[in-house]
Formats: sequence, structure tokens, C-alpha cells
Amino acid sequence: MLPRLRGAWTPALLQCAANSTAVSKSRSESRGTRWRRREVPRHNRLLGIPRTKKMPVDQDWSNVYPVAASFKPSVVPLPIRMGYPMKKRAPPSKEGNLELIKIPNFLHLTPGAVKKHCAALKNFCTEWPTALDSDEKREQHFPVEIDTVDYVSAGPSIRNPKARVVTLRVKLSKLNLDDHAKKKLIKLVGERYSKDTDILTITTDRCPLRRQNYDYGIYLLTVLYHESWKTEKWESEKTDADMEEYIWENTCSQKNVLDTLLRIKAAEKISDVPREELLASEIVENYKNSVVLLKNEGETEDNMSKYKESVKKLLNLQGFQ
Amino acid sequence: MAGIKGSGTLPGSYAVRVAPKQYLLQNKNLMWIQFSLGTDLHTVFQSYGNMPLVSISDEPDTLYRRLSVLVKGHDKAVLDSYEYFAVLAAEELGLSIEKVYEPPRKIERMTLLKSVHVYKKHRVQYEMRTYYRCLELKHLTGSTANVYLEYIQRNLPEGVAMEVKKTKIEKLPEHIQKPIWGTLPQVEETVNES
Repeated sequence: MLPRLRGAWTPALLQCAANSTAVSKSRSESRGTRWRRREVPRHNRLLGIPRTKKMPVDQDWSNVYPVAASFKPSVVPLPIRMGYPMKKRAPPSKEGNLELIKIPNFLHLTPGAVKKHCAALKNFCTEWPTALDSDEKREQHFPVEIDTVDYVSAGPSIRNPKARVVTLRVKLSKLNLDDHAKKKLIKLVGERYSKDTDILTITTDRCPLRRQNYDYGIYLLTVLYHESWKTEKWESEKTDADMEEYIWENTCSQKNVLDTLLRIKAAEKISDVPREELLASEIVENYKNSVVLLKNEGETEDNMSKYKESVKKLLNLQGFQ
Repeated sequence: MAGIKGSGTLPGSYAVRVAPKQYLLQNKNLMWIQFSLGTDLHTVFQSYGNMPLVSISDEPDTLYRRLSVLVKGHDKAVLDSYEYFAVLAAEELGLSIEKVYEPPRKIERMTLLKSVHVYKKHRVQYEMRTYYRCLELKHLTGSTANVYLEYIQRNLPEGVAMEVKKTKIEKLPEHIQKPIWGTLPQVEETVNES
């Protein structure tokens, strides 16, 4: 409660006396006109005209709210009402409205102000190089992609332990690998390689700092690359079960085909045809392609029909449907 | 082009533009002070003296293929306004916006005992709502990304959190270009003779 100051000259009253022409009554005068209301209310702290009444229409709003500030009802000239209305009443007006002060306002970020800020910031920006306008060029010159995440939030600490995770992605077709190296690398890497998109993904988070994780990721890529080019002695013990794809040479399928063809030739009493000629002939090539397709890609309509055609040609059964 | 080795085919320079950090800060403070005197923004630069605000260094700029900004808050209206501001700022700075979308909100509810002691049947329920907004930009340089992110983050409202996912594109490291096993000097293998 403000203390009652009878007849005392408070600073507010002094200011009012300086600004306005109406003079507050002295004690002798107020006795005679006791029931007439005072020109100036006694306990009013905020004497003076609010800024909203003194604003010109064409002012620069960024002079009123240059920085983020709370909502001031005497400064914002809008008739805003906010809050839950009582019965048969409008929502509370802006004077003394806590809801309007609590919510973050964007009065300092009007489109005009944002354009001014961006015009000033434009000097610090650089252009994207125009030579890298297509995906292929970007992938050809810059094949490695590094993913990092930054976290911004309010709290006792600005640090976030999730910020040290680094993910490295690269397409294996961009690396200089031969057939054996590629297969070995895929075996070494296991789940981190995706066959559909041909992308190797390495996620590192074992180091406490992001730069350390990035260095570790690059180190892993280097080691994988160089190790996959090496051929160890025990790699010659690779069995059929370890093979990633079906290779037709030196399989029993090949032996069977050659056997069959030789027997056919013997039955027709043609002189011995050398094995290399039989292998290189078109019929055997067709058969080989269809068998490889079946084994690698599985059984589809196309593959089965190709196999059927090649077997028919092999055994000279063209008449059958 | 400054600082890039072995890539003479790439035209167009993208040297780093570095703003000395204190200039950006002081600009904002200066704007505040100067505006109270009623002067225009442009005079701030002139009256600060003849110090250059932009310094160009030789190291090559980093390239970001995508910048994904996810903002989280408890109030959808605040996020709406922030999205308008961020999109406007990106357009003014000339950045290409890939897409702006709203991931679905998440509500965490908890049911607690109302009373300090006993009264198990009387509970009180609270919920915490998190709304999301995601803005994806593509093809930025490092300097532009730093400028935009600093501007966005300085104007982040109270009670709103942000996660920025940067996808940087890089060349292959030099030591991966070719296998080294042919070029190293031969080291004789020592066999353990037990």
C-alpha cells in the first residue's frame, strides 16, 4: 500500500505540476470545494501520457522494440486482450495482464526489422560454388558425408553429451577398390554396409570430443581400405559357404554340362571336340548365365523362363513348349 | 581457389568469410544504444570507425549439403511465429529451403498421488506437451551456415530448444586414394622359431 501523503509534494505531483497547466489545490482551497474531485488522482504513480499516444503513425517500429523485451502495455499501441473471460465479460485487457508478459513475444522481429538485420548480415555470407549444381558432380568431387548434431537448450549447463556423435557415410563405388578388396571390406564391415544404396555408414561416439570422434572415423575408414587390399594366407581357405555370389567355374554344374554334351557327341559319333570349344560355345554360355541368375537373384518368372530356354537348346528339345 | 589442392577444375572461389566474433555482438548492442538516440542503422557502421568488419581468410570453406533445424517447444503459437521468422530470415539471406514441416507432437502424461500420505484412490494427472517444427535448408557454405545459425539461435525464444543436424560433404582423404602395399619397402618376415 502506498503511504498517504496529504498535501505533501511527491515527485510525481511535482512533475505533473511542471507539465500541465492544471494546478493542484492547496489545503485552504480544498476546504471550500471539498467534494469536488481532485484534478490529479492522489495515488497514481504513472502520471504522464503513455508512449502509445505520442507515437507518430509513420515511425520506425525497430526504434520501439530493438531487442527482445517483455510486453509493455503502454508501449504497444494494439488493443490486445488475453486470458480467460469471466462471466459475461470480455477477456482481460492489456493493462496489468500477466499472460501477455509471460508469453515470449516477437515484437522485436517484425519483417522490417528482420530485413534490416539480414541486409547487415549478408556481408558475412558466402555463395555456394556454382560448379557444384548437380548431384553427380557433388558426389564425384566430395563423396564423403559427415553428420553432426548441435543441441541448443536452456538449463544449468550448455553441454549435451549427444553432441559428440559423428556419422561418416561414403559410397563404396567412389573408393578405389578391386573385386577382392570390395568383398573383403564388406565382410569386415558387416552390418554397417547397405547393399541397396551401396553406402558404408560408420558411427563413432567412443571419444569424449567431436573432433576426436571425427578423426577416429577417418582412421577407421583408412584402416578398412588398406586392410581390404591385403591378401592374407588364410584367405585361400575360403569355402563355398563363404562366397557372396555364385561363380560358375569349377562347379559340379559345369562338369555335368560338359559330361552331357560329350556323351551327346559320342552318341552321334562325332569326333572328340575339345573341352575349351564346348565351354566357349553359345549353348553353354546361355546355360551358365541362366544358372548364375537363378542362384544369385532367386527364382523369378524371367529367370525360370531363361533357364527353360537354355536347357531346351542344350538338349536339342526345340519342339517342346 | 584458396587452399584447395589437386582440384584445379573447380572454378569459383569459396574462401571463408570470417566475422570477428565480437563485431557481431557489438553490432547488436550498438544497434540498441544508437536506436535510443533515434539514429538509423546505417550510421552505426560509419560511426564505429574505419575497422574492417569482414576478413577473408585463405582456408577453404566447409560445404554443407543439408542443414536440418528442429525446434521443440511447449507452445504451438510460439513455434509458428518462430518458423515465420526463420523462413523469412533464410529467404532474405538467399538460402534455399528444402522443406518446412511439423512432426507430430508428443504428450508425456503422469498420474501421481494427490495426497502426501494414504488416499490411494485420489490421484492427480499432469501432462507435458512437446511440439516440433523442422526446417531443412540445402547447399550452404560454412560461413553462411554459421551466420544464419547464430542469428537464429540468438533470437530463440524462452522455453524453446533447438537441434541442428549438419551434413557436411568432404573430399576423400589423400591416404585412401591408392593402396600402399605395392609401394612400401619390403620388410622381411621373421618367423618364430621355437
